[in-house]
Amino acid sequence: MSNKDHNSEPHAEHISSYREHFGTWVGLILLTMMTVFISVFGADLRTLSVATALLIASVKALVVGYYFMHLKYDPAIYRIMMGIVMALFTVFLVMVIFDYLTRN
Amino acid sequence: MNHTFTLPNSGHNYDAKASKLGMWLFLYTELLLFGGLFLVYMVYRSLNEEAFLLASFNLDVWMGTFNTVVLLTSSMTVAMSITALQLGDAKKSIMLLWLTIAAALIFLVVKYFEWGAKFEHGLFPGMDHFNTLPPGERLYFYLYFFMTGLHGLHVIVGGIFIGVVIHKIKNKSVNKNRYQLLENSGLYWHLVDLIWIYLFPLFYLIH
Amino acid sequence: MSETAAMPLNYLNVKKGIWSWLFTLDHKRIALLYLYSIGAFFLVGVALGVVMRLELFNPGRDIIEPQTYNQVFTLHGVIMIFLFIIPSIPAVFGNFFLPIMLGTDDVAFPRLNLFSWYLYIIGALFALSTLIYGNGPADTGWTFYAPYSVKTGTNVSMSVLAAFILGFSSILTGLNFIVTIHRLRTPGMTFNKMPLFSWALYATSWIQVLATPVIGITLMMIIAERMFGVGLFDPSIGGDPILYQHLFWIYSHPAVYIMALPAMGVVSEIIPTFAQRSIFGYKPIAYSSMAIAFVGYFVWGHHMFTSGMSGAAAIVFSILTFLVAIPTAIKVFNWVATLYKGSIDIQVPLLYALAFIFNFLIGGLTGLVLGALVVDVHVHDTYFVVGHFHYVMFGGTGFAFFGALHYWFPKIWGKMYNKTRANLAFALLFIGFNTLYFPMLVLGIMGMPRRYYDYLPEFHSLNQISTVGSWILVVGLLLMIFNLVAGYLKGQKVGGNPWNGITLEWQTDSPPPLHNFDKMPELPVGGPYNYPNAKSE
Repeated sequence: MSNKDHNSEPHAEHISSYREHFGTWVGLILLTMMTVFISVFGADLRTLSVATALLIASVKALVVGYYFMHLKYDPAIYRIMMGIVMALFTVFLVMVIFDYLTRN
Repeated sequence: MNHTFTLPNSGHNYDAKASKLGMWLFLYTELLLFGGLFLVYMVYRSLNEEAFLLASFNLDVWMGTFNTVVLLTSSMTVAMSITALQLGDAKKSIMLLWLTIAAALIFLVVKYFEWGAKFEHGLFPGMDHFNTLPPGERLYFYLYFFMTGLHGLHVIVGGIFIGVVIHKIKNKSVNKNRYQLLENSGLYWHLVDLIWIYLFPLFYLIH
Repeated sequence: MSETAAMPLNYLNVKKGIWSWLFTLDHKRIALLYLYSIGAFFLVGVALGVVMRLELFNPGRDIIEPQTYNQVFTLHGVIMIFLFIIPSIPAVFGNFFLPIMLGTDDVAFPRLNLFSWYLYIIGALFALSTLIYGNGPADTGWTFYAPYSVKTGTNVSMSVLAAFILGFSSILTGLNFIVTIHRLRTPGMTFNKMPLFSWALYATSWIQVLATPVIGITLMMIIAERMFGVGLFDPSIGGDPILYQHLFWIYSHPAVYIMALPAMGVVSEIIPTFAQRSIFGYKPIAYSSMAIAFVGYFVWGHHMFTSGMSGAAAIVFSILTFLVAIPTAIKVFNWVATLYKGSIDIQVPLLYALAFIFNFLIGGLTGLVLGALVVDVHVHDTYFVVGHFHYVMFGGTGFAFFGALHYWFPKIWGKMYNKTRANLAFALLFIGFNTLYFPMLVLGIMGMPRRYYDYLPEFHSLNQISTVGSWILVVGLLLMIFNLVAGYLKGQKVGGNPWNGITLEWQTDSPPPLHNFDKMPELPVGGPYNYPNAKSE
């Protein structure tokens, strides 16, 4: 496993096409329009709109990470590390908010 | 004079993979740096839901949306500039990087007007109007300035980073076979975008 | 010139002059730069500690004013935590030996490595600069708790900025080590054939990278609050000071493992060498480092049991705290099992390693006492806490640092110190240490609060014993330093492998050549600690 790490160098790096980048951009813009639309015109559904806004933001973040930041084509370890970091941060959030929600 | 033996796994070799791994690790630290602020935001928002909502009406959704589009576009241009260099088109790559820097400047100019309007209304921490606001709204503005300010700082740093890369592409030390530095500057720029992707709904869209 | 011609070229004599040190990219020289600077700040920290012990010799005022006392314990804490313990083993021995143990010639980013040292020095100068202007060093304790840290007139902003810069230095060192371990292992050395010291550094580095940014941003919030007069922890605008404690300990508890894990790595190297026996349970020791690093992220709340945190959260944090004891105990059992039936050669480094286990056991078990919610409510902020963390940090990491110094001394300088004197210094340090800190545990149970300038008469005799212990400790420390300096100046020359060790650093010359190896290093057959002459069971 480590041997491979060192020696199998020129693994003809994947090159994303302009087209793919443009497609990604279109997707991101559509998501942005969607989240603004929900927020401006769906003002009655307050808590719901915050949840959807965060959900859409997370989808956008995933798209940026996977396509623009090339995670989709990188070795699995980059996705795993990113997953661990995000999970760790989520646990920080959960444990702190748990304290606040259970205070008298 | 010395032995000429060198280890194959020398730390002084050019190693694109090491450089990339290092950049990602650095991005994790940036994520957690902002993470601390997001944590503070979460706690205070949960304690002051109404006040945060009221305060958020002071922001202009359309300016925020415009800036979001600007940053997303710049993310695309920087990603394309990597493709261009990988295909050997240094000129196009540099052109796309200049577009990215232009987007960064547009973002900052819009931000400048947004902040300027808030200053005029005395909403910056410590100003008169700020001091008369109810506690929760003051927290909101404090966080707004702190988080967008820190983000703006990252926009500037990212822009400078990209400027350095442009220079290095020109003098050929970054080229078709050795483009990790360009990729790293791209990664950094995408991170700036990623953080904005969360800042935007949290401050502008909580209506 | 003739001298260099006679001696083989090594990293120490290959270039001369101050600039060849200040601009060096060689990880070994950077490690020595760290050693000298960390050592100097350690002595400042010790001096401040001695001042405190002298003040506490009698109740009431002995030598300093109460306000000075507050500043002294804060500066002692800041120096010892940020300038000594956190960088100590990783920055000195990690820098020097990680690349050699992995069979490479440098860390992955040599320039970044030098930059980290400069950041360290800048941070250190900032921290010490608080002594000479304004109202003097911070008087908040090293934790900088809001709201007091925002209100006090002492130089908190500068101390906090120093901590921020030092944190950045620590992040960059960690980042460098992770990439080095991933990319530069010698061909054939898989993760599971790495020396255990590398494993410990790997776990430590992940904590440095993933926890330090949180304190960075927290400290920036404190600075902003002091600048604008209002801030995020200010109750008058709806802020909550307890949130500061959360953020602070999200970093600072994992930081305890930044201090402890490398020490455990050192002990895992010393014990197999002096038992001449394969380490018992390689994988459990390696993976328990990772487990400690991981679980260590989720226990920060045990510093806040009496802060006003919710009872339910306190219970969760208390339970999680107990989990950390499991991987730690696994390590202790494995070290002891390694010694069993080994061909034990009692040398100074082994004594330090054994002292580590002894002290760390006391420190760890008192930690469990503190982690238990009901007991903590009684002993929180007493001398029991002070005793506990000095047992872990000084008795543990400090002794491991000294052990590492004695273990690798011949490799670093190619000379040997006087072993009799080293034994004597060890005895003084060990006796002095326990005389100094054990009474604190008792005082804490009796109810003496920490960070107080004065105390009730019934605590008098134990405080005096403790102060006498500090004198013994200082004598031992001075003797140890004298002995090592003497060894450096005129010690006997030694060969490449004086302890008959098996990890890769013992395959090269002492001191190592500039690029560490003059030929390809050979991995030991059958695992990193497979001693060919070890007795079979």
